[in-house]
Order: sequence, then C-alpha cells, then structure tokens
Amino acid sequence: MSRRYWKSIEERDGGEDWLPADRDEFPEPLAVLPDAPGTLGRRGFLKAAGFGLAGTLAAGCQRGPVSKAIPFLNQPEEVMPGRATWYATTCGACSAACGLLVKNRDGRPIKLEGNPQHPLSRGGLCAVGQASLLGLYDRWRHRGPLKRGQPASWADVDADIVSALAAIRHRGGALRLLTGTIVSPTLSATIGRFMATFPNARHVVYDAISSSAILDAHERTHGRRALPRYHFGQAAVIAGVDADFLGTWISPVEFTRGYRDGRSLEGNPPRCSYHAQFESGLTITGTKADWRTRIAPGEEGPVLTQLAARVARRAGLAWPAGDVGMPPVPGAPLDDLAGRLWAARGASLVVSGCQDVAVQVICNFVNHLLGNYGRTIDINRPSYQRGGCDAALGELAAELAAGAVDGLLVAAANPAYDLPADLDFATLARRVDLLVSFAGSPDETAALAGYVCPDHHYLEAWSDAEPAAGCASITQPVLAPIGGTRAIVESLARWMDDARPAYELVRAHWESALFPRRIPVEPFETFWDTAVHDGAVELQVAPRESAASGTSAPLPDPVAAGAAPPEGALSLVLYPSVGQLDGRHAHNPWLQELPDPITKVTWDNCASLSPDAAASLGVREGDVVRIETGGPSPAAAALELPVYIQPGQHDRAVAIPLGYGRASTERFTRAGPHWLESQPGVGPNGLVGINAAPLIVFEGGTLRYGGRAVRIAPTGRRIELATTQRHHSIIEPRQVSSAGSRPIVREMPVSALSAQQPPPGATREGRGLWPDDHPYSGRRWGLIIDLNACTGCSACVVACQVENNIPVVGRDEVRRQREMHWLRIDRYFTDADESVDVVHQPMLCQHCANAPCETVCPVLATVHSADGLNQQVYNRCVGTRYCANNCPYKVRRFNWFTYARADAVENLVLNPDVTVRTRGVMEKCSLCAQRLLEARISARARGEPARDTDVRTACEQSCPAGAIVLGDLNDPASRVAALAKDPRYFQVLEDLNVRPGVGYLAVVRNRDADPGKAGHV
Amino acid sequence: MSSRLVTVVLLVGLSYNLLAVAPRIANWRLPGDHTDYEPAQPVAFSHRVHAGELQVACLYCHFGAERSRHAGIPPLNVCMNCHRFVTAPIGAVRAEDVLAVKENRRPLRIVSPEIAKIYRALGLGDNLAPDPARTPEPVAWITVHNLPDFVYFDHRPHVAAAVTCQTCHGPVETMERVRQVQALTMGWCVNCHRDATRRGVADRSANASIDCVSCHF
Amino acid sequence: MSDAAALPVREPLILGDKSLAEVTGDICRPLDARPTALWWAGFLASLALLGLGVAAVSYQIAVGIGVWGLNRTVGWAFDITNFVFWIGIGHAGTLISAILFLFRQRWRTSVNRAAEAMTLFAVMCAGLFPVIHMGRPWLAFWMFPYPNTRGSLWINFRSPLVWDFFAISTYFTISLVFWYVGLLPDLATVRDRTRRGFRRRILEWLSLGWNGSYRTWLRYEIVYVLLAGLATPLVVSVHTIVSWDFATSVIPGWHATIFPPYFVAGAIFSGMAMVLTLMLVARSTMGLQHYITGRHVDVMCKLVIFTSGIVAFAYATEFFMALYSANQYEQFVFRNRALGPFAWAYWTMVGCNVLVPQLLWFRRVRANLGLVFVLSLAVNVGMWFERFVIIVTSLHRDYLPSSWAGYAPTSIEVATLAGSFGLFFTCFLLFCRFVPVIAMAEIKSVVGTPARPGKDL
Repeated sequence: MSRRYWKSIEERDGGEDWLPADRDEFPEPLAVLPDAPGTLGRRGFLKAAGFGLAGTLAAGCQRGPVSKAIPFLNQPEEVMPGRATWYATTCGACSAACGLLVKNRDGRPIKLEGNPQHPLSRGGLCAVGQASLLGLYDRWRHRGPLKRGQPASWADVDADIVSALAAIRHRGGALRLLTGTIVSPTLSATIGRFMATFPNARHVVYDAISSSAILDAHERTHGRRALPRYHFGQAAVIAGVDADFLGTWISPVEFTRGYRDGRSLEGNPPRCSYHAQFESGLTITGTKADWRTRIAPGEEGPVLTQLAARVARRAGLAWPAGDVGMPPVPGAPLDDLAGRLWAARGASLVVSGCQDVAVQVICNFVNHLLGNYGRTIDINRPSYQRGGCDAALGELAAELAAGAVDGLLVAAANPAYDLPADLDFATLARRVDLLVSFAGSPDETAALAGYVCPDHHYLEAWSDAEPAAGCASITQPVLAPIGGTRAIVESLARWMDDARPAYELVRAHWESALFPRRIPVEPFETFWDTAVHDGAVELQVAPRESAASGTSAPLPDPVAAGAAPPEGALSLVLYPSVGQLDGRHAHNPWLQELPDPITKVTWDNCASLSPDAAASLGVREGDVVRIETGGPSPAAAALELPVYIQPGQHDRAVAIPLGYGRASTERFTRAGPHWLESQPGVGPNGLVGINAAPLIVFEGGTLRYGGRAVRIAPTGRRIELATTQRHHSIIEPRQVSSAGSRPIVREMPVSALSAQQPPPGATREGRGLWPDDHPYSGRRWGLIIDLNACTGCSACVVACQVENNIPVVGRDEVRRQREMHWLRIDRYFTDADESVDVVHQPMLCQHCANAPCETVCPVLATVHSADGLNQQVYNRCVGTRYCANNCPYKVRRFNWFTYARADAVENLVLNPDVTVRTRGVMEKCSLCAQRLLEARISARARGEPARDTDVRTACEQSCPAGAIVLGDLNDPASRVAALAKDPRYFQVLEDLNVRPGVGYLAVVRNRDADPGKAGHV
Repeated sequence: MSSRLVTVVLLVGLSYNLLAVAPRIANWRLPGDHTDYEPAQPVAFSHRVHAGELQVACLYCHFGAERSRHAGIPPLNVCMNCHRFVTAPIGAVRAEDVLAVKENRRPLRIVSPEIAKIYRALGLGDNLAPDPARTPEPVAWITVHNLPDFVYFDHRPHVAAAVTCQTCHGPVETMERVRQVQALTMGWCVNCHRDATRRGVADRSANASIDCVSCHF
Repeated sequence: MSDAAALPVREPLILGDKSLAEVTGDICRPLDARPTALWWAGFLASLALLGLGVAAVSYQIAVGIGVWGLNRTVGWAFDITNFVFWIGIGHAGTLISAILFLFRQRWRTSVNRAAEAMTLFAVMCAGLFPVIHMGRPWLAFWMFPYPNTRGSLWINFRSPLVWDFFAISTYFTISLVFWYVGLLPDLATVRDRTRRGFRRRILEWLSLGWNGSYRTWLRYEIVYVLLAGLATPLVVSVHTIVSWDFATSVIPGWHATIFPPYFVAGAIFSGMAMVLTLMLVARSTMGLQHYITGRHVDVMCKLVIFTSGIVAFAYATEFFMALYSANQYEQFVFRNRALGPFAWAYWTMVGCNVLVPQLLWFRRVRANLGLVFVLSLAVNVGMWFERFVIIVTSLHRDYLPSSWAGYAPTSIEVATLAGSFGLFFTCFLLFCRFVPVIAMAEIKSVVGTPARPGKDL
C-alpha cells in the first residue's frame, strides 16, 4: 500500500474533495467593467447612432411648405384669375396726354401700353409714360391730407380751407391758382367755376419746361394766344432751331410718329424728308438730322433771321431792309436749306424752341412765307399741351413780393423747385397766409404749404384730356385709390358745396360741353361708352377766324446776334433730359436708371462740354467743376457738377440737364445692394444730381433756358459718373479706327436706295459647311429694327424693364457696369469732326441660330427652341457666366446680388407672367417669350392658327417710331420676311456666322452720296 | 441596465418613425416628387359625390381651365348655385319632414355642418340672407397639385387639346379627398409631351412642344 | 550605347557618399524631431492666410459674386486666373514622377516626392475655384451626370467646363494614387522605425502591410510603371482641356488653335518654377543639401529655360497670327493687350516669363541658388499674369465697343487668392512634417551610383 503524502492539514483531514464546491477555480475575478451607470458607453453610443440614423432616414423625406389657395367669395364677371384685362385711359405723366391701354392683372395694373386708336400718340408711348406706372406703387406718396405737415382728416382740412376761402371771398382778397398746363377740360371748367366764385381770383398757368414764347408770338402774328399743332408727317423739309421735338419738346411721341411717317423708306420711291437742325447741345433730334449745325446759345435769332431773309428773297419780299450781319453758320448750306424750304412750300416746317418772342415771331414769319400755316402747322385746331404764360407768372411773382396775395393754391406744379432763383418762389410763398398744395407725393412746394390736399395718381382717378382741339380722351381709374387721396376736381367741387364724385363731374361735363361737339349724332350713352372703351374720340372744333394772313401782320424785326459772352465765359444751355423732363418723376428709379440717350449717364446730371472746351479748361470727364453765373442774382450763385465730354456740342456752350436734385431723391441713398465696398446711391449732396433750375433766367416775360453767361472753374474733386457706355471707347482715336471698321452699324445715303442691288438677305441663309442644327421647319421668330426710324428715345428700354421684372441696381452697380437692362441702346459717334453724326442701335439678345452661348453652358441652362428663340432657363442656371463671356454682343446680364425686392408696395408692379430671378443666375432678352406663348395659346383656344401679327414684344409695342418689328421669318407673307429682303437689311457682326435672328435696317441720311459716310461705320 | 433603457427608448422612437412614414418608405421617391399628397381640407368637399355620383362636369366648377392659366378653385358663389337650395343630404331633410309631420310643425331647415361652413364663409345668416353681423371669410383651401414658382403651367392648351383632367389629376371622381396621383415632375411632363407628339391626343395629332420656354420664362 | 564605358563618369547624384542608414536617418529626421520654430512660423502664417481665404469665400457665397470686381463684360478674372494658375503649378509633379521616370531620368528621385505632393495640393487649390466662381455654388453637383426627375435633362457634353470637370477629377485621382503607391516603401520604413503606439498603428494601416519581400518589390515596380504610363497622357491632356475653355470660344484672344501646346508648356514652366521655389527652401531649412544638389537645380533650370522658350514662341505666334489672319478683332485685341489699359500686366508677364529666364543661360546664374530662387518666384508671378492677361484683356474689349469695360479686383478677390496660397502652404508644411519629403527607397537606388541617363538598374 502506498503511503499518502499531504501538504496541508486541510488536505489531510479534508480528503480528496477538500476544495469547497462554492469556491470557483480562479480566485481573482475577470476584470470586465460594466458601463458606469448614467454614461453612454461605446456600444450604447453606436446603438444610439444606428437608431438615430435609421430614424432620421425614415422621417427624412418631408414635403415642402403647405401652400394655400383662397378663391373669391363672389367672383366678379370680368375678373378671371390669371387673365389680364385691358382698359383704355390717358397718360398723365406729362401734359402731352398720350393714349394708354393699361394691362390689369388680378386687379392691379402691371403694364402701360400705347393706345393704337389714339389720334395723337397712335400706339406709341415714351419712356416716362412707361415708367409712370411705378409712381402708382410709390410707398412715399401722400396717404391723406396734411395740415401744417401733420396728417389730418379730409373733413378737418376741408373745413379750414373752406372757411379761409370764405374769408378771402368775403373781403375780396386775392386768390391765385398756380398750375401747370391743364389738359383736362373738366378740370379747367371746374377751375373756371371755382374761380368765378371769387371777386379777385386768377388762374396762373406755367410750364416748368415753357413754350410760352410760341404762344406769345402767335398772339402777335395771328391774334390768338395758342400753340399750333405741328404735323411733321406732312413736312418734306424740316428746319429745327433749338427744338428737341423728338425728345422732350411739347409732344414727342406724336412728333416722332409724324417724323417717322415723313421718312418711311419702305415705299417706292422711298419717302425721306430733309431735316436740318441748329442746336448748341446735342439732342436726339439733332442726331437724326441730315444736316446738323452747332450754334452758340443765343444765336437762334440770327440764324432764323438769316434763314428768313433768304426765304423772303425767294418770296420776292424785301426783308429785312438792310444787312443783318454775318451769319453765325456757313451761308452756302443755309442758302441750300432756304432753297429746299422754298421748293417745298406748304410742305415744309420751321420750328424753334427758343424762348425769345421776337425770334418766334420770325419763325412764324418764315412759316407764313412758306405757306405752312393750314398745312403743316394747324393754328385753327391748336394744341393744348403747353398753355403756360410766363408773363402771368411774372405778375404773380410781383404780387407775391408785394404781399398782395391772400390765398395761393398750387396744383400739378412744383414752383418751389423748378422756378428760377430770380423769382425766388420759395421765400415769396411763405408770405402767403393760405398756401394749399395738391401734390400727390411730397415735393418742395408741398413742404411749404399749410395744407396739402393730395391728388390721385392718374391711374386712380376719373378725369379726361383734350391735348389738341378736337381730340378728347377719357382717363378712367384702373384700381381703387391706394391711399386716402382725392382728385383735384373733387376737392374744388367740394369747396363749392358740390359733393359729386369725379366720375359724375367728368360725365356731366362731357354731356354738357363735349357731347354737343360730336359729329355723328348718337345717344350720349353710346358716345360715353365709345369714349370710355376706345379711350379717345374725335370732336368738332368750332371754326374761328384767325388772322392767319401774315401779310396783314407787320413784318417782324430782324434779330441780330446778342452780346457775345465775356472773354473766358461759356454760355449756359439748360435742357430737360429725356428721362427726367422737369423732375416731376425724379422719385422713379426706372427713370433714374435709364441711361440718357446722348450721354448714357444714369443717376446723375452733369455739365456737358465740347472736347475743345474741356481741353481749353483743362478738365477731364468726371472732374467736378464750379459753374458760377455772373450777374446780380445772388441766389443762383453757383453749382458744382461733374464734367461730361460731349462731342457735337458747341464750344461756347455748357449744357446741364434739368430735373435733378429733387428732394424726393433722398430715398435712393441706400438704393442697390449693400456690401463691403458698396457706395451710396446718391451724390455728395444726399440727392440724385443737382437742381439747375435756379439758373433759369426770367427775362422779357419768358423763362429763358439758354444763353446765360457762366464761368467755370475746376474744383479739383472728381466723381466717377455712372455711365452705361464707357466714353473712352469713342474718344481714343486708335480705338475708333479699329471699332470704326467693324460691321456693327451701317449707313447709306438716300441715293443708294434707288440703286437696286441684290438684297443681302437673299444669300444669307443656308450657307455653311455643316448642316444646320436647327431646321426651323415651322416658325422662326425674328426681330428687325429700323435704325433709321430709331431716335434713341429709350421708350423700349423702360418697356422691357417693366414687362420682364428687370431689377433696378442703383448708381454704384451701374458705375461697376452691372446694369441689368436686357435691351440697351448703343450710341455710336460716326464722325470725328465738330458736328458729329450719331447712330442709335437698340441692342438685345440676337437669338443666334449658331449661338455661342449655347455650346458652352455646362448644365444646358441656355438652349435653342424649335422656333428660333435662344432660351435662358433661370432655374437651371448655376451661374458660371461662361455664356456671357462667349456672347459677342454682350447682351447677357448676371444677377450679381439679390436685388432689392423689399418694398411690398412696389412689388405689386411685378409681372406675374415672368419669373423674378434670384441671385447668381444669368438672364437676357427672351423676346417676350411669355407674350409669344400667350398669343399661341389663346389663338389655339380660339381654334385659329396663331399668326405672328397677334403678338408684339414690349419694346415693339412701345416704340413711338414703330422701328421694331417682330414676326415669323419663315412666313413669306410676314412683314419681317419682307424687311429681311430690304437693301438696307444687315446683321450685326455678320462675319461671325452666328446667324442672328435679330436684324437691322441701315441708317439713311438724306445727303448726296458721300463715300466717307456710306458703308459700314 | 441603463443601456437597456436606452435601447427601449430608441426602439420606440424608431418604430414610431417607421409607422408614421411607412407609406412613404413603401414607395421610395426622388426628392421633389410629391405623389400621394392628400392633405385634409378646411371643408370636407367630396369629389366622389359631386363629380362621381352627381356627374357634375369638372369645368362647371373649374371653369378657369378653359379661359385662364389656372383652372382655379371655384368661388363660393358657384357653390351657392346649388347649395342655396341643397343644405343637407336628402336623407336628413326627409327625416326632418317626417318628424315635423309627426309633431305637426313646419319642418326646420337642416344644414349639414360642412355646408354650414360655406354659409359662414359667405357671412350668411340662418335664413341664407347676408347677415351684416357676420364678416365674410373666404375658405383657405390647401393646394394639392403644387408646381415650383418657376414653372408656368397653362390649363388652356391642355383642355383645348382634349387632354382629360384625369390624365394629370387622376380619377378625382372616385376620391373622397383629392390626392396627387401623378408625380408632376419635369420628366413626367416632358415624357407625356413626347408621347403626345408621337401618338397624338384623343385620336388627334398634337404638337406638344418640349421647348424650355413652354414652361420656363 | 556600346561605348558607354568610354564616357566620363559624372559626379554622383547624392553627395557625401551616404550609407543607406544615413539616408534613412537624414530623411526621417524631421519626422521624429519636434517641429522647429521656423516650421511653426511658416505653418501659422499659412494658416492665417487660409483663414483669411475661408472668410472671404464664405462672405462671397453669403452675399453674392457681386463682391468680386466682375461686370457685365468681364465675367471671369481672378477666379479663373487662379484656377488655371494652380492647375499649371500642378503639372510639374506628374511630369517629374511619370515622364522623367519613364525616361529614366534618375535625378528625379530627389524631388519627385515633393513635386507630387505639390501637384496634389495645387490641384486641390485649383479645384476650389470652378466651384466658388459659380453664381450658385450650392448647385455645383449639377455638373455631375446623375439620374434626376427632369426627364432627359442631362449635362451639356459640348461644354468645355464639363470636360474640365472630368479632366481635373481624373488627374487628381491618378496623381493621388501615384503618389500614394510611391509612398508605400517609405511608409513601411517609417513604420519600422516607429515604436508601437497610435502613430505606428496608422502607419501599419497605411503601408498596407508592406514587407520588403522580393514579391512586394516586384508588384510595386510593376504597378509604379503602369501608373506612370497612365499618368503620362494626363500631363498633356489636362491642361489641353483647360485651354479649350478659351480656345473653343469666339472671343478674339481666346479663339486660338495654338492654345493647347501653349498652355501645356506654360504649365510645365510654372510647375518647374514652383518646384524650384519649394525645393530650394526645403533644401536649406531641412538640411537636404546632399540630396537636392546643385545638379538638380541646374537640370530644372534648364527645363525652365526650355519651356520659357516655348512660351515666348507662343506669345510671338499669337501676334503673328493676328497680323497674318488680317482679322481686325484679333489685331485689335493684341494691340490692346500690349498698349491698352492692361499693358502693365502684359509687360509684367513678358518680363517675368521671357526676359528674366534668359539669365539662366549662364552657368554661374544657375549655380547661384539665391538668384535661382528669386528667378523662380518671378516666373511664378509671370505665369499668374499670363492667365490674367489672357482672360481679362481678351474679355474687356471684345466685339462691340459699346460694351467695353474695365476691371479692378476687390479686396475679397485678393483675399481669396491669398487664401488659396494659404491652403497650399498649409498642406505642404504638414506634408513636410509627416511624410518623408524625399523618396528614400528610390534614392537608395542611386546612392553612390554615378548618374548616367539610360544606365539600367
């Protein structure tokens, strides 16, 4: 037996199973640490992450925000959501009173268009008219009457005014009503009634841009103080002396249309009037002239005298007795002009904007010798578009100075702003006890007035107009007044205890006064409905004998050249700019951003000098100069304006646009985007531009805009003008020579038209090595622009801006060359001599068949349509700007910022049919694709084939000269197809073979063939 | 055990998520495709009853489709063309008549709660005459078929080309509450236009443009 | 070369006849040591620049492209200039690593690693600009062809920008892979030198389990040659495609058939200059005089002057073609380039790219490293201006004089350019710190051997 060894007592005693069962084999526990309570360990974290991820994925697919649709409770008959309604009315933007068609969409007007049935404007509408729509949605308009600057109730204000008027009436005090020209017969009648209730009341009418001298002259020569109607369409020879009748003079739209009729070259033989223009500054009228001559301000008299003398000689009339001194212009061409005028007796026209009555008398004398009265000049059916009498204004100023005026009402005028410093209206008006202003929006005069009884915007009011005798039109409201304003007629009537609303007043007046003059006898209802529907009606004019026989009128005295300005002095030319006129629309950003047709300056006014004058003064463009008027008047001490170098201006002239420096432009301080380096939107004076009106001279009973002697001294400061067309591109001769030979614009003498060369349009299509990308089996849209008809008036630019929701970018952005206009007007000086030729070229997307932009866009945001449009898809654009770089015409516009759309009221003007583009997106002319589509759809809905005559682009519709034609190039019957075969037809940069869908017709100057001028320039 | 708690919480959350969005999970769509959108409307208007049972033509209420871009939601005066007289389901009216005869009194006007909303919106009194005390309050419907703002869809050409309403809006006449049936994405539009040009619509040849400017300008 | 033996033996590529261990030690020193004050200074400066750039770009994306000085006529300026500039810089790397490798230019071994790193960082900088220059950069993904709900709406394969997109992404990918593969043996070396720890973990992971076995080396060599072959055409293709952005347009001054070779040469030119700049700095700061010797500098200088010649020839050709084509737009653009408002930029370009490099004809200049450094900087400046001149002077006065405009950069644009340099140098300094700047494995193959072109391994 083996002996047992043990190593411990426990082992010996315990036997084999000495290890207790409850003791586990490994005494020390495994170190597996549980997660500390409350903390989330790795596993926990992963778990949470997993669940979380799954959860978010599941919940991830959310919907967009819920959008609601709120229908009418009772839908009016004529209102159809999404459909536009059109109303005929009359434009109230200036005293020309053109016809309007207002596009109303979902109860608000969004676009103004010319009324084709209107006998004066005949479908055209100027830039100012187009833009005046925005004034309706102007947040800064008066919302109600003011009493000493504080808002008050109409009842309160009416009570005060009525009692004050009663007092005046009772003690026979002097009441004066100062207004601009009133074209509304109803308002005139009401004013007459109102004035008649006072023993000593007078209605003084003046125009900030006055034509008073013309009326005064006709009072002398024809015994009737009236502004004749000029029929440019019937004139074969036109001589303009300082009259910008295509731009701003009296009734530009009407005149432009007539002028274009006189130069329509489609006919065979082509009809092309001869136009000679004498002017100091450069106006768009001058740019269209066949013979333009620079004259110094104040030389209108001598020039007309010279012309009259030459015409008189041909008429066999010994006038003037004796010599009238050397002509300020070369005699030979003046002889030639006189010859042409004489040859076209009865079909010629001499107009002058000169404010010297003596000069106007000579002008009438010439026209009389030429037998134009009764033919191109209608004195029997006069125009009422300018009724101002400056002499009466002078008397009023005298009365005010003498403190002889107890009550002064101011309507449709802003005398505190636009009258010369000599009259010093602002100080005088403060002496009047009762000063009432009817200004619809805050202006310098309303600021002085004790009471402001704001008038409606003209789109809110019932009114009427008779711009020319025998042509009456209705102004009907297109939406309920936005604020608590009240029409002037209503106010005046109310103060005569006549509580009738404007509608009844107008209707009553038409029934009593206008209806009897209606030629076809019809019930008044019909007459009224016709008037409201068509917008305008023809009326009979009471024939009145006028001393039209000038022979009975005494021969006028010749006007010799005035005293030359002192040595080193220049003489001033104050002119209304096409966009601003007299400044009544200065609050309108569309017009502020509209480039001036001549200077291309926006958001500022400047002092234009001829290159020679600038050189002699040693100033460059943008230098701020101090313009000091000599003379006694202390008020008009000096202006400080940036210089603009203007080729084609007279070397002795310094031209300054009026209408700037309005107090209401303060609002533009923060116009445009704000960022690190952005500049304020206004000038150093906190306003847009400087008011030059104080420099107007009141002399000889008329307001004189030209001829004042001024001295100019550089201040050393500089301002970078916000011009849309860089000037150096024309000044640097090297550039011109290279740019000059480019096939951009084309000119030809009228003689070249008769020569039948093969139309270049014939061979144009179907060239090239490769088959066309775009067959255009159906329609191909094309646009043809007649450069000969285009006057550069820029109506199309604003029309495009309104139609296509193009943003206003502000002065600083324009200065950075980022204006957004889809349609711009390029202006080329085609001659280097001192009187330049100018060509205006509307430039827009050319809708090329081989469009360079389309190939380079990485995301197919710009592609070609089957009917020839170059389409830009905003929502697809990522904004590489490659297309804009690759565009030879540089017509593409990029949204550099989110342009301000903050003004909720102003946004009401947006066109709901056009996308409002966001930041970072390219945009450009779509050829009004929304209109093309609308026309196609409505035609299809009518079950007719869509004709290209159904649709007109915004620019085409607005053009007063009818220079733009849209149509189907594939339709041989269409007008564009015919024009594309015209010998004048050409395409810009044709040699690039981008094959534009937009073509142009060459400019034609009525000159003898001159190789220097013909061909490309 | 804290981790177990976490697990439970997470499970509940996830299951809720899954249940809440199960239908959407079921047919996965690309972003921008809102098929099957079926919001509750302020008035429980039944297209099944009106367009289905009563056979009211679509264009009777949505008359805009022929004349305007928008088919439009009918103004309440269109509703009143019928509901000036029809104030409640015929069953309820008959029951009231029976009851009135039993209690020999003149039957009261029965107005169903949904139709009452119309009268309230129009500010009508109990006798369905305008009640100056009540201010009219238009009904804010929730749009079902939404297109982005940069898309300009026009009903007119589609109606003129005899495209049936159901092509885009689905069998509305069977729907108690309107549901978006088609994707209404650009691809869907373009493909339909292609087919239309290729095969024509309603046995007539059609020329459905697929140019961008047909919808984007 | 039958009479190879007859050739004089050249001095070795690597000086101070190093042992292999010494090579490893020298090159890995900066990885082990704490960063020097100089490194920190450089790094913080670069980081500051980068921060500035980030701020500028965020501001631009938040507010709009309008914060740049562009306008309706000049739609591209600094953005695309910087893009092409960086792409150009990015060329030397692949050239050295791929083409010179295939040509058995063994001197490349000292510089290829750094050059390739430079390429990657440069392409990163370049890739930034096409995105931020968009008006809506958040939609940049629309450049991808991807399935969408828009029916057949695809991307425009005719657009050079799309080609760019593919070319650059390809180039970046290949360069990255090439660089990484070349890095493998060295990573393994560093791994083996590193004690266990986080860093070693990373290195183990990165070096893909490299064991210096014969099989590994064999595979490595094959892959490397293949990648070199793949990368070579890219050297030419990428900048060719970039040049098409301009060559396929209709803008006079852009629309030129000479652009592809012209751009490629310019790219190599600027790339070489940048390599010189960086190498000369690295050499002196990191004590690599023995590895990056005067010979390397000399050879690269010769490449620089050669490409400078090509570029100069291209400049001349452009003018000749303008004259010879009798195309008035062309003629005007080039006259305007030399005499117009941007003449200063043009003559800076000519001075830096054509005149200054002529100094390199002289051996003494090539030997003077300080001078070479200055010259290389000048070339970089000149090449930036070349792109600026091509883009801006061609755009600002093209067909219609009415639309002619000027251009001036805003502070934001300048800050963005500075930021791109910040990004580049930040990356490069980190690279110097964490990766062997010289390809140890390759350099060891040339230690002590007389460098002779064509001598087989």
